[in-house]
Amino acid sequence: MDANSKLSWRRTNAMFILALAACLPGGHADAQQDKGSVILYDKDSQYYRIRVVDEAGGKRRSLYFSRYRGVQSRMLRANPDALDFEYARSMIAAFALHGKPKNVLLVGLGGASLPKFIQKHFHGTRLDIVEIDPDVVRVAQKYFFFKPAPETRIYVMDGRMFLKWVVGKYDVILLDAFAGDRIPFHLTTKEFLQLVREHLVPNGVVAGNLWNPHDTRFRAAETATYLQVFPQTYLFKCGNSSNVVVFGAMSRTKVECSDWVGRATAVARGRALGFGLPKLIRNEYSCQTGVRVRESALTDEMAPVDTLLREHPRHFEEAQPAR
Amino acid sequence: MTRVCIFVAAFLSGAAVMSLEMAAFRLVQPEFGSDIIVWGSLISVFLGGLALGAWAGGWLADRRPALWKLGAVVAVAGIVSLGVPLYSGAVLDWTFPVGEPAPAEWGAGSVYVPPDMRWPTLAAGTLLFLVPAFLLGTITPYAVRLFVREMPHLGADVGKVSAVSTFGAIVGTLGTAFYLIAWMGTRRLFILNGTILLALGLALVIADRFLSVPRRGDGAAEEP
Repeated sequence: MDANSKLSWRRTNAMFILALAACLPGGHADAQQDKGSVILYDKDSQYYRIRVVDEAGGKRRSLYFSRYRGVQSRMLRANPDALDFEYARSMIAAFALHGKPKNVLLVGLGGASLPKFIQKHFHGTRLDIVEIDPDVVRVAQKYFFFKPAPETRIYVMDGRMFLKWVVGKYDVILLDAFAGDRIPFHLTTKEFLQLVREHLVPNGVVAGNLWNPHDTRFRAAETATYLQVFPQTYLFKCGNSSNVVVFGAMSRTKVECSDWVGRATAVARGRALGFGLPKLIRNEYSCQTGVRVRESALTDEMAPVDTLLREHPRHFEEAQPAR
Repeated sequence: MTRVCIFVAAFLSGAAVMSLEMAAFRLVQPEFGSDIIVWGSLISVFLGGLALGAWAGGWLADRRPALWKLGAVVAVAGIVSLGVPLYSGAVLDWTFPVGEPAPAEWGAGSVYVPPDMRWPTLAAGTLLFLVPAFLLGTITPYAVRLFVREMPHLGADVGKVSAVSTFGAIVGTLGTAFYLIAWMGTRRLFILNGTILLALGLALVIADRFLSVPRRGDGAAEEP
């Protein structure tokens, strides 16, 4: 290895570390060291260590599940119902893709930013929420001002068990379940997504948040899994954030960008969403159907999520259009 | 030479116990959730199997111990491990509690807690893993019995066998968690462990034909 490449290797590494630090606002630059931060809640639950921290002099409130594993949810104190994270805004694009969702399922409550937003702007939507940790439900209500609407029901159980157990179908399913910084493997597999598909109406849409700060093999593998299960698959890279949102649509017809933007314009009309949904879709839209992903789909048998998240796609080429 | 065989048996069976335990989590989690209940249940089942196995293995070890008998138990454990993926689906389906659909009238906006999963999870774990854990649990006391030659060295010998078995368990745990789950997947892990145990068992049976097992220890077990 000559000096030049060594240097560039070092630089890459330094950039990687910087990127990592940027991705984990609650990471090593720990909240406790931040002068403007106040820890409101810090307790072990059945699954995590839950921490609620007021940051930036009380301007925003964040939820952490463990010290170094990134922020799970963030709320602006001035506007508690707003969606502060790009990925959460992207997931609302699923509402536009469906058009007029009446029954919605959210897997993974976190700081309840999505349910608060849905209850406020999509009044009357029947919302089912599945959250495995009862303390997360309590924290969301107490510290993140989540008041379940009459049409909202909360199920304290594992997301996959819920889908095995529940009867009925949804227009939109939002998957946002994380254990720290990764999706539990049994919520990533083909078998799980098939279960999701069984609970979607014929024009239903699923949106899955893949926390993915660096381009890991996991993102490609999970996209490959969606491609196997859903007739149409779309992917939003969520700007500069660390998230990627994958959409699986039941409808066989491919929705073009302009069409989706048009639907979003209709959805946004008369609603003060607080961000430009049509613009977001125009910027992020990418249809994955027909794209060849060089990574095999995840199955119950073989879902090495932890390994894939650690591995950069060294020999992985950005998805190539199929010929 | 017998002692080397016993070390190998203790090491590999120790590795297999933990490798099977890790694989068990991957097998059960998709069906029963990533609940702490699953971890608690499976660890308890394995410990229970090992405990009962140790008791039975100790009892058996005092009745004409022979290397081939140890080999036979290891081989049976291997066969059971090979069989787990064949019936695991049926067992998990059968033990999963059939939930009634959510009643329409319960309070909207309320928090709904699902049926108790603790006993179904424990039942599934018991049906699937108690037998292999039991069989593998018999190995340590039995191996100790074959290993010990003189009473003055009893403590050191027991320590050696136990240490080798525990080192095996570490290798089994880390190897599975760090590499094997990503390399081969759940079902093939059972096949791998089953094959290793079956081969080990047969090797011990064959080895017994060529090695004279020291019988001196027998005298201590005889009733006065």
